[in-house]
Amino acid sequence: MKQADPSSTGRLSRRDFFKGLGTTAVAAAAAQAESVAQELQKLNTEKVFGPGPVPVTLKVNGKTHRLELEPRVTLLDALRNHLGLTGPKEGCDRAACGACTVWLDGVAIYACQKLAIDAQGHEVTTVEGLTPDGRLTPVQQAFVERDALQCGYCTPGFVMSVSALLRKKPKPTVQEVLHACAGNLCRCGTHPRVLEAALVAAGVRPVSMTRTEVIPHV
Amino acid sequence: MKPFEYASALSIESARALAGANGQYLAGGNDLLGRLKDEITETGRLVNIKTIPGLNRIEPGPNTWRIGALVTVAQIEDHPEICRVFPGLHQAAAEVGSQQIRNVATLGGNLAQHSRCWYYRHRDIQCLKKRGRICYALDGDNRYHALFTGNVCISPVVSNLAIALTALDATAVVWREGQERRMSMAELYELAWDNPTAHHSLRPGDLLLRVEIPTTRPRSAYLQVSDKHAFDWALVSCAAAAQVENGRLRNARIALGCVSPVPHQVSAANQFLEGKSLDNATLDQVADLLLAGAQPQEHNGYKIPMARALIRRTLLQLVG
Amino acid sequence: MSEWPAQLKVLGTRVPRVDGPAKVTGQAKYTSDVLPEGVLIGMILRSKWPAARILKIHLDKARQMPGIKAAVAVQDGPRQVRYYGEELAAVAGVSRQACEDALRAIEVEAEPLPFVVREEDARKPDAPRVWEQAPNMPPPRVQETGNVDAAFAECAAVIEGFYATPVQLHHPMETHGCTVLWNEEGITAWASTQGIFGVRDGLAGALRVDQSKVRVITEHMGGGFGSKFGPGVEGILAARLAKEAGAPVKLMLSRFEEALAVGNRPSSFQRIKLGAKADGTLHAFEFENYGTAGVGAGQATEGGGGGADLPMPYIYRVPNRRLKQTTVAVNAGSSRAFRAPGHPVASYGMESAMDDLAVKLGIDPLELRIKNDPSEIRQREYRIGAERFGWKEKYRKPGSSPGPVKTGVGVASATWGGGGSNRTQGEVQINPDGSVEVRLGVQDIGTGTRTVAAVVAAEVLGLKPEQITVKFGDTRFPPGPGSGGSVTSPSVAPTVFDACTKALDQLQKQTGIPDARGENWHVACKKLGVTPLVVQGQWRQGLSSSGVGGVQFAEVEVDTETGLVTVKKIVVVQDCGLVVDPLTAESQVNGGVIMGIGFALYEERVMDWQTGVVLNPNFETYKLPGLADVPEIDIVLLNMPERGVIGLGEPVHIPTAAAIANAVANALGVRINSLPITPRKVLAALGKIPAPKTPAA
Repeated sequence: MKQADPSSTGRLSRRDFFKGLGTTAVAAAAAQAESVAQELQKLNTEKVFGPGPVPVTLKVNGKTHRLELEPRVTLLDALRNHLGLTGPKEGCDRAACGACTVWLDGVAIYACQKLAIDAQGHEVTTVEGLTPDGRLTPVQQAFVERDALQCGYCTPGFVMSVSALLRKKPKPTVQEVLHACAGNLCRCGTHPRVLEAALVAAGVRPVSMTRTEVIPHV
Repeated sequence: MKPFEYASALSIESARALAGANGQYLAGGNDLLGRLKDEITETGRLVNIKTIPGLNRIEPGPNTWRIGALVTVAQIEDHPEICRVFPGLHQAAAEVGSQQIRNVATLGGNLAQHSRCWYYRHRDIQCLKKRGRICYALDGDNRYHALFTGNVCISPVVSNLAIALTALDATAVVWREGQERRMSMAELYELAWDNPTAHHSLRPGDLLLRVEIPTTRPRSAYLQVSDKHAFDWALVSCAAAAQVENGRLRNARIALGCVSPVPHQVSAANQFLEGKSLDNATLDQVADLLLAGAQPQEHNGYKIPMARALIRRTLLQLVG
Repeated sequence: MSEWPAQLKVLGTRVPRVDGPAKVTGQAKYTSDVLPEGVLIGMILRSKWPAARILKIHLDKARQMPGIKAAVAVQDGPRQVRYYGEELAAVAGVSRQACEDALRAIEVEAEPLPFVVREEDARKPDAPRVWEQAPNMPPPRVQETGNVDAAFAECAAVIEGFYATPVQLHHPMETHGCTVLWNEEGITAWASTQGIFGVRDGLAGALRVDQSKVRVITEHMGGGFGSKFGPGVEGILAARLAKEAGAPVKLMLSRFEEALAVGNRPSSFQRIKLGAKADGTLHAFEFENYGTAGVGAGQATEGGGGGADLPMPYIYRVPNRRLKQTTVAVNAGSSRAFRAPGHPVASYGMESAMDDLAVKLGIDPLELRIKNDPSEIRQREYRIGAERFGWKEKYRKPGSSPGPVKTGVGVASATWGGGGSNRTQGEVQINPDGSVEVRLGVQDIGTGTRTVAAVVAAEVLGLKPEQITVKFGDTRFPPGPGSGGSVTSPSVAPTVFDACTKALDQLQKQTGIPDARGENWHVACKKLGVTPLVVQGQWRQGLSSSGVGGVQFAEVEVDTETGLVTVKKIVVVQDCGLVVDPLTAESQVNGGVIMGIGFALYEERVMDWQTGVVLNPNFETYKLPGLADVPEIDIVLLNMPERGVIGLGEPVHIPTAAAIANAVANALGVRINSLPITPRKVLAALGKIPAPKTPAA
């Protein structure tokens, strides 16, 4: 596609855009108005935004939200304080604890170390987005049954990490679960049970790290 | 973070123009955003370079592989052919941070990351690297610091990928003011050897484009030791690469990480390995050569025996 | 003999946490999630100086910044700060960004003062004084029994050892903080706290409001481990900001701040001399210890915990002993109670000394303990644990395992109280549709006490736990104790038992149905008409007690070439009276053990002596165990129904680090005499580190 010259407003207009396309492309583009808008948006993205609040469009859990945010606002801040999605938690704000884990296009990231403005054009999924109808997913069910939670503050992050793993590797090994969850911290000590729950949810025989026997004292 | 502007670049030239004198390139953002939050880096503008086409490809080749600077560490880790052709690079990638970090961290960002020295990273300490007066690590807690340095700052390079790529004799291709510059791994970091305020040889505005890796060395390996078993910076890391014929090494390269501001490599050690098979005496001698001249500080002397163990194990893993 | 029924249907079964579904779906609202209409963000300005005279704080510029609605100084007029991170002022604004910008606009006039942050420096006579009126290290308190010096002369074997532990940080995953709202009714505060009534009273006092006009709510909170009692400086600042702004203010600390100012476990530098007779009977014990509680040394610290004193000789009885203990002040944040205050540190010192003595005597360390431990319960726990663990098969002489990766085993024990508070009250509401609500003014800090309440109520009323709605964490509910000291379950269980027993009684009387449980339940409840039955109950005797033991065995591998320590297995044998819910009890055990692994191998707060700052105020360099660091944990819970419910949150954390340290010493044949046991220290202990060429400054 030829680079079209920006119009005098500094923005590429629809007319200029179409002028730069071949005939076939126009037909195809016309049929997909959405992708044209996206292309248009892309061609205008060398625009400088901020430092004050600017329009930021975020697609979260399948819904589109239009916010006014400064570029320095993190995705986590936007989710929690601007969209009221408090599932992802703030534990450290430094990409070290995983309490803020969300999916960006289906892979786990730290929402605290991603700018909201930099997450535009992507699909964000929070823990709330795993259960739109309120029913527990197999991972969540396994967490409850195996008691892979205590205070629960780290739990949404772990659920997102484990769920992301199972999408990629439906029958993970123990090592793969450990590798996928290395970036999630817990202070209450749920670790052995997170491992169990991940394997149970995957339908893999759990190598139970915690064995217990309650015996009477006589 | 202090306020900043944000723009997405569609070409390298516009990225450079948009960054100007004070802007910073934003790729994965793991390092940069952390620095902005702790106010150890200041900028008026972030230029998103993820929208520049052509920098995120993994291109295999019979003699050379090209890996774009915007390829994520997760993509490197997950690439089945990289695992087979450059196992050392795969192992190094797998140890970078956590899954969440690897999913956004880029090759370029990993190579260009700043020091992790806790004096440098502290928001209220103006150390030498931040153009302050002194290196606080020298008389302070230097357990994580370097055994070698050409200047007063003793903060070591911590990029896992840099060490693996050094052993693989990779070349970094850097865009600098309209020109492509080719740098060996050594050249990519050499400025940090002499200059306490440098983390590498990149200048403001430089953009890492890709890394080119020759396929000359079919065997490679990477190992590290940390305090924890996962998601922890290496205390010492080691990478090696070579051809192995009948148990003998050819064209071997061995490098250490976290002991020097640059990937630590000694040509005498590489040359010594030529044609050798690995017995205890050889392994000891390589370690002697690679660690010759090490100057431990008060708290980091342990890196010497730790490095010796890693050198031995990495080479043994190399020959399989 | 306990008053619990002999035949239990629900108690003692594995019941999933009743708040599990809310937590795994992200629906559970924690303190940091609460967002009242119009809420502002609060943020604190902290001292960059480890010691300074603060002359004046200029807030005018900050007040005028965009989006800022309030700004307060902690204290008007000149004052002194004594650690890096001490609170100076706070602002409230419409966003984090507005607050960050406002903090940068606050000018502080200060005169820096000399400071000292390391214990060994603070002890010196010429060290800068943390508190002008007192030396940093008061003369030790001396306690003597018997005739120590003579007794040592009578010993067949004497060891002298030095054992040190670092300052440990609580680092709950949810930071400290609260949201405070003022309205005509008074103050409502959502607090991340272990004690809602303590927060209530603290806010009422500081803001000069009647206690009856202050309501504190903690529906869910993200952990405390002893550090979250009282409103804290941050709570009071939030309240003051909210008042000035005329809007609710949410003030949550950052992770950075957590490392500076909200508590820690004191360090220890223990010198132990321990002697035994030829048959292994302990005969003489000499103990010197100092540690730091930060600026809190000698001052009352929130939630108790006191200074750095240790309960020695811990679980053992030694007839001749001399103890000298003191606490040294440094310019760092004050200590606070931290999961079994004093005990993990005491266990580490004492159990290390016991192992060293066993080596000197040439006897099995487990035998030495069996010889000397007066606790009948722990004797039983040693036997059960040793068999479970395979102690006889695994124990080898120190350092004798072959190969560069050496294995070793260790054992250590605990003692704890964990009894219930007789000041606990609760109420139960039985509705005409048969639904039941239990209300207590306690808080579930992650221990599962909500589930305990549901289980007990279900047991008494003949229902299933899912049929009970448990409401905790509101000062409008009947009062209960703060969640500390492992008292919550033994407080809650008897109280709920009492309330439900009374309620069932009344239901039966009121409706004329002799046994309203089971199939009669709905019929009986319907007879209530439109008025639900609300019955108060309180803690009663006979359903709980205090005093538990606990023994842990550890197996480790130490790579003698890299220094890396890997814990392979922990066996826990723990009593806690009547086990209410084994599923959640096991989780508590896991939690204590894993925190113990952190204490043994990874955690320490590092101060920089040059600048006085905390060098590792983040999770990158203050290291917590992750999944890959957690070994196989094998748990045996001794169920003792006749003792009633006893808490277990703390005892399970006490001996882990000690057992691991002993296992490492057993593996290597040499002891690393301080925690955390890092690769660096292992290599040093093995003599593998060449001396530095440049002498230390």
